[in-house]
Amino acid sequence: MIKIMLVCSAGMSTSLLVNKMLDAAKIQAIEAEIFAVPEAEIKLYIDKADIVLLAPQVRFLYGKMSKELEGSGKPLAVIDSVSYGLMNGAAVVKQVQELLGSK
Amino acid sequence: MNSFISFLEKKFVPVAGRIGSQRHLVAVRDGFVSIMPLVLAGSLAVLLNSTLFTWLPFLEILKGINGNVWWGTFAIMTLLVVFSVAYNLSKSYDVNPLAAGLVSIGAFLAVTPQAHGEAGWGYIHWGYLNATGLFTGILVALIATEIFVKLMKKNLIIKLPENVPPAVGKAFAAVIPGLAAVYFFGIIGFLISQFGGNSLYDIIMTSIQKPIMGLSQGLGSAIVISILLSVFWFFGLHGGNIMEPIIQSLYMPALEANASAVQLGQAAPNIINKVFFDAFVHLGGVGATLALIVAVFIVTKKRKEYKEIAKLSAPAGIFNINEPVMFGFPIILNPILLIPFILIPGILTVISYFATVIGLVPVTYVAIPWITPVGIGGFLATGGSIMGALLAIINFALAVLIYIPFVKLADNMADKK
Repeated sequence: MIKIMLVCSAGMSTSLLVNKMLDAAKIQAIEAEIFAVPEAEIKLYIDKADIVLLAPQVRFLYGKMSKELEGSGKPLAVIDSVSYGLMNGAAVVKQVQELLGSK
Repeated sequence: MNSFISFLEKKFVPVAGRIGSQRHLVAVRDGFVSIMPLVLAGSLAVLLNSTLFTWLPFLEILKGINGNVWWGTFAIMTLLVVFSVAYNLSKSYDVNPLAAGLVSIGAFLAVTPQAHGEAGWGYIHWGYLNATGLFTGILVALIATEIFVKLMKKNLIIKLPENVPPAVGKAFAAVIPGLAAVYFFGIIGFLISQFGGNSLYDIIMTSIQKPIMGLSQGLGSAIVISILLSVFWFFGLHGGNIMEPIIQSLYMPALEANASAVQLGQAAPNIINKVFFDAFVHLGGVGATLALIVAVFIVTKKRKEYKEIAKLSAPAGIFNINEPVMFGFPIILNPILLIPFILIPGILTVISYFATVIGLVPVTYVAIPWITPVGIGGFLATGGSIMGALLAIINFALAVLIYIPFVKLADNMADKK
């Protein structure tokens, strides 16, 4: 089970992507729990995540988040902006797999 | 053009990033976000009283109920914000946020005048607690929390013997830092009155708040703000997220002043406020991108991918969520769409401003959630005025017309590839 946390400003547009990613994960028989949180609630949920993905429009949070995740070994990445715009769940799931695989 | 954009990307984006994650600004923004349910409750109360409860005479008698809700939300908004900003700032330092919130409320009241006019001593005037006190409230919350957090981190705490239950020790941990923060403002208040001043509120009001608020009510500032949002987004940065602390602390008090004026049966004074932008300018999101989607449906013939993205983005766009459009087309770093994307917010701001000034459309005074669709937002924000809905729709149609030639241009360029 991979627990993926998506972060954007209000948790709105990432919640769109959550559904698309869940569909993609289902097809590939990957067990995943995916959830979207607004930036303000990062701290409440960060412990529940194995991997954190930032929406491209909040990529400026990368520095702050990497400090937050320091020592936890949890990967952090910015979602590819083209995949984000097209709400391409499969591509983002692939991005997650690559991140987890490269560890 | 490309080298210019990459130059800006290198210089501008990091600065924006720093603003967007600056601890105090983030605390102010999240402080406002946290009180949103109360703002909406207050807005609903004012809206009901000036619409349904006025239109239907038999409901008139129940107006007091909404008045009470307004009193518990808008009329004391600064208290809510003081707590909530302090809470969020302290949380970002990983220091007991509840204690910081409470201490800041204490600190804020310590500098609030204790007497009011003829009422004599012991009466706090609500004018210090409503949104006009926000500047003072935010400043006190930030400083009080900083004092509290710094001292907490210095471990200036009372050490208790080991056999005292840990919960007791925890309760005592905040004693010295909390004491220092409240005393600090107690002393400030004392000094101000010793030197003949009235209150911190008055000093901040005349020296900072009035000039800034005055400036923020100018058409120029409104245009700059609406265009800046687009500029941030052009670089793929969430403009709203970055500018929210400024927008909230300038345009939320403006909205509250309007709501309170209407509640008291006066004319709403501030044309430009938070809801003004949401209802009339950000139609489908920043840059009126829902209009772009419609323009694509109308004129795009060759670029299948444009049509696909438009279809994909339309449902979210109706609720003013536009990331799919931003990153899908993309608008970001797209030199053709840049022009309308930046022009439209400016133009819509000007039109809406003048439509309100000449009285065609009522001044907006009801807080609406930003996901409220085009037209409905204009209707609700103006307190149920058809003209408000109409202005939003006309603005929207105009935005579509402005987008059309640029979408066509993009379509024709697909040919040459």
